[in-house]
Amino acid sequence: MDKEPIIKLKDIKKTFFLPHQRHDSLVEFLSNPLRIFKPSGEEFTVLKDIDLEIYRGEFLGIMGRNGSGKSTLLKILAGIYAPTEGKVEVNGKIVPFLELGVGFNRELSGRENVFLNGIILGMPREFLKEKYDEIVAFSELEKFMDMPLKNYSSGMQVRLAFSIAIMADADIYVLDEVLAVGDTAFQKKCFDIFRSYKERGKTIILVTHAAPSVREFCNRAVFLKDGLLQVKGSPEEVIKAYEQG
Amino acid sequence: MSNYLELLREFIKTDFKLRYKNSYLGIIWIVLKPLAMFSVIYVVWSNIIKIDADYKMMLLLGIMVMTFFNEGVMMGLGSLMSKAGIILKIKFPREIVVFSAVTISLLDFIFNMVVFAIFSIFTPVTVTPISFVLFLMAIFSLYILIMGVSLFLSILYIKLRDIHNLMQVVLQLFFWLTPVYYQLEMLPENLQRIVMLNPLTTILTLARKGLITGDQVVRADFIDMTMIFLVCLSILIVAIVFFRKRVIKIAEYF
Repeated sequence: MDKEPIIKLKDIKKTFFLPHQRHDSLVEFLSNPLRIFKPSGEEFTVLKDIDLEIYRGEFLGIMGRNGSGKSTLLKILAGIYAPTEGKVEVNGKIVPFLELGVGFNRELSGRENVFLNGIILGMPREFLKEKYDEIVAFSELEKFMDMPLKNYSSGMQVRLAFSIAIMADADIYVLDEVLAVGDTAFQKKCFDIFRSYKERGKTIILVTHAAPSVREFCNRAVFLKDGLLQVKGSPEEVIKAYEQG
Repeated sequence: MSNYLELLREFIKTDFKLRYKNSYLGIIWIVLKPLAMFSVIYVVWSNIIKIDADYKMMLLLGIMVMTFFNEGVMMGLGSLMSKAGIILKIKFPREIVVFSAVTISLLDFIFNMVVFAIFSIFTPVTVTPISFVLFLMAIFSLYILIMGVSLFLSILYIKLRDIHNLMQVVLQLFFWLTPVYYQLEMLPENLQRIVMLNPLTTILTLARKGLITGDQVVRADFIDMTMIFLVCLSILIVAIVFFRKRVIKIAEYF
């Protein structure tokens, strides 16, 4: 394991501005038209002070209740949100799987969606052409590739999405609760993939509510509550903290 | 970098394909809309004044250029919003979505130019190599003007949905403030001055000179062209700076 962290979060703070619902009448609006540029509202601090260093080859679990700020933290890691304060340093290629099948379009065929989604995830077209058969084989959807996606069941869509996503080559994978995918047989395939990432020395950040997957995969975990990382340590410690709330 | 170009290509390809999915006439609508508008104005106008062959082609080109501007701005305006699902999940230069929307309207314009070429078989126009360059410069200036306006509006639209309705009115106003079906000389002098302030007027005038009355192109036209190009370029640069500054926070406002 490298001494130098692959991801470094320093004093991260994230505040959102929540505008109040406007019930302006026309008269109110005319009395102060500039209000559209300065809506009333309040600040809401999701992350207060996050310090976290993640090292190459680590499998880090992030646990926390709904609304504790896990997704916000992931979005900051992925560069989608800019932190209000603090510094994010990422020294590698990061592929976020915050959602499977980003950019999927219902009207396009399975084949077209493979290329669309793959390119959005940062894979070159040539690479996708090479891997196309492999993707289709993994998804077990050989017969459906020329059908529009709207005729797929939701399980089929997720399987296709997952099969594309695992082709992405990166140093860091950010996974948001994507473990709960498909039927048992397909889930087993997914777990095998995660194991192979781990063996290949990739860095993985996993956000989940499932204690068993944290226990099985992660070598370190953190517990997020009230905008702070309350516990940083072994998976067992974190699972205990999470279960106690 | 090369991946971002591929992403741009993919956005252009899929959005172009999807736009007329499940419609019977499909991409024929791209040329049908301006042609229908041309027919209406032509029929009405030819009953009011006497129309010569050049005028007919000028009207056609005028409508095609204005359609390019209108559709480009409207598509560019909504581009960030329509890609919200992707923007919230993946990091990539956000300019790409605006760029792809505006480029689709350029592709539409090129389709329309094919129709214009077919028309010109029956109603000949005068084009010289030099005048064609002038035409290309005019269209390129318009393209970067649309890009600048779109970059600016796409950000505003996220926060202020009124922009969509407002722009439909504003674009209507610009259509009337551009000599599309009337000639500048028909207007009273003070109105002429207002119309001349509209950069679209100069762009359209030069595009018409370049593609219809190519033998009348003079050196001064290129000076005008350069001036208007610089105006469009400055708008684009300001818009890029504005866009870059604001787009970082945009994911929070969807």
